[in-house]
Amino acid sequence: MTTMTESLQLDPAPRRVYQVLHPLDDAAEAKVDLDRLGPMRLTRTVKACLYILRGYLILMSALLAMHVLQLAGVI
Amino acid sequence: MAPEVLQSTPAPSTGASPHAIPVSSRWVARILGFLLVAGPGLIVMEADNDAGAVSTYVQAGAQYGTHLLWLLIVLLPICYFIQEMVVRLGIATGQGHAAMIYRRFGKWWGRFSLADLLLLNFFTLVTEFAAIALAIARFGINPAWGVPAAAVGLAALALTGSYRRWERVVVLLCLLDLAWLLIGIKVHSLGGTWMRQAMVPSLPQGGMTGSWLFLVIAIVGTTIAPWQLFFQQSCVADKRLRIADLGAARLDTLFGAIFTIVVAGCMMLAGNAGFARHWTFSDPAQTAVHLGAAFGPWLKNAVLLLMVNAAVLGATAISLSSAWAYGEVRGWPHSLQKTVREAPGFYAIYAFGIAAAATVVLIPRAPLQLIILSVQVLAGLMLPSAVIFLQLLLNDKQVLGRRFANQYWNNCVNWTIVLLLFVLSLLLAAQVALPQWFPSA
Repeated sequence: MTTMTESLQLDPAPRRVYQVLHPLDDAAEAKVDLDRLGPMRLTRTVKACLYILRGYLILMSALLAMHVLQLAGVI
Repeated sequence: MAPEVLQSTPAPSTGASPHAIPVSSRWVARILGFLLVAGPGLIVMEADNDAGAVSTYVQAGAQYGTHLLWLLIVLLPICYFIQEMVVRLGIATGQGHAAMIYRRFGKWWGRFSLADLLLLNFFTLVTEFAAIALAIARFGINPAWGVPAAAVGLAALALTGSYRRWERVVVLLCLLDLAWLLIGIKVHSLGGTWMRQAMVPSLPQGGMTGSWLFLVIAIVGTTIAPWQLFFQQSCVADKRLRIADLGAARLDTLFGAIFTIVVAGCMMLAGNAGFARHWTFSDPAQTAVHLGAAFGPWLKNAVLLLMVNAAVLGATAISLSSAWAYGEVRGWPHSLQKTVREAPGFYAIYAFGIAAAATVVLIPRAPLQLIILSVQVLAGLMLPSAVIFLQLLLNDKQVLGRRFANQYWNNCVNWTIVLLLFVLSLLLAAQVALPQWFPSA
């Protein structure tokens, strides 16, 4: 973060000074209030897609586990 | 007359802060501003070149020479695009990724995502300690002593109560990976061949075999991992990056992406030295021993030390992504700026993950290389799901507004990435269910 300070009274030609501040030394910035917004509205299609995705992930993990056990010579 | 303070951004800084660093040149101010903001992007990318990545890239080089270098070039823009979205989300909301899923999708999806992350992170942590055990054993150090010592060191790294101290140490560890460039230059002897193979996709001799496909998915899984989404967003939130820092944070991420892909390419070149000499690959520590015999003992030591460095980097970042995510979902204090007394749950999760993974690694005769590769594949399988949540969050205009939400072109690129990831995971499923479709190597 850079801010610029202009000192006019000392030099005939104004000398600009830039102030650089680490984010952790800066005042906390106001962000969007998620508690006020609450959960996102999901359409039925999006919800259905997320459930299908969950099932797909479980199935694929099981397949991977099977493949790894095959490679390890367990099954 | 008081100096007039001019601000060109909406961030709340004033020149009056006692911590402000005055500089007289605009360019020096810009560079210094970038250096103060940089860190999360470089760390998330380079920590992704963790022990599993070293193992996967060296194996790719050892088995297929430089035939998979092109994949890294393809993955460079992909990992930047995905992580850039996380930066936008973190800066706009000041919240971690787990908190966003929990609050915007509800508790059910929030807990599922957290469970996926914790499970995958734990297995990945096991691979970090597995690599530490392999490497220190080659130095003649008993893993029964070396692994717990590494775990204690990793815990101490985060327990200082200062984000800045942690970040400086970890950035230094990231920069140590520059040594891979020297190794890549030392071992490669293919003239311009590797450059051509990096630019033009090609199949190795024998074509698309099952093991080739397994390795491709593992490379995708190790280059873009789900924990990275959670880690970088939480890191951005913990560092309290401001809206005005977005440009610098993007540049940090881009620089990190380029750095990590270059280092990954050098790891493949190190493996390629074994491919050219017909060494049998078992694990990267064994490759280091072969390299030492061929190019001098310094190279063996360098590769083994870099393996440990990669594992330490990966372990601290992965453990932190778990601790941040768990703290966000439980509503516990979760910041590296807090002391152990102020955030006991956050540090307990960090330390518990490390201790449990270190314990698992000390179980005798575990097939460590198979575990390492399988974890990368599992990460590749879970990635599409994580990217879909990210994609939905980035289209949440109620939270992000027009400025931070995805544009049409962002969505086109990201859905293409999700589609590619799904195709890869379906190919893996086909390989497992119908192995006769894929010739063996």
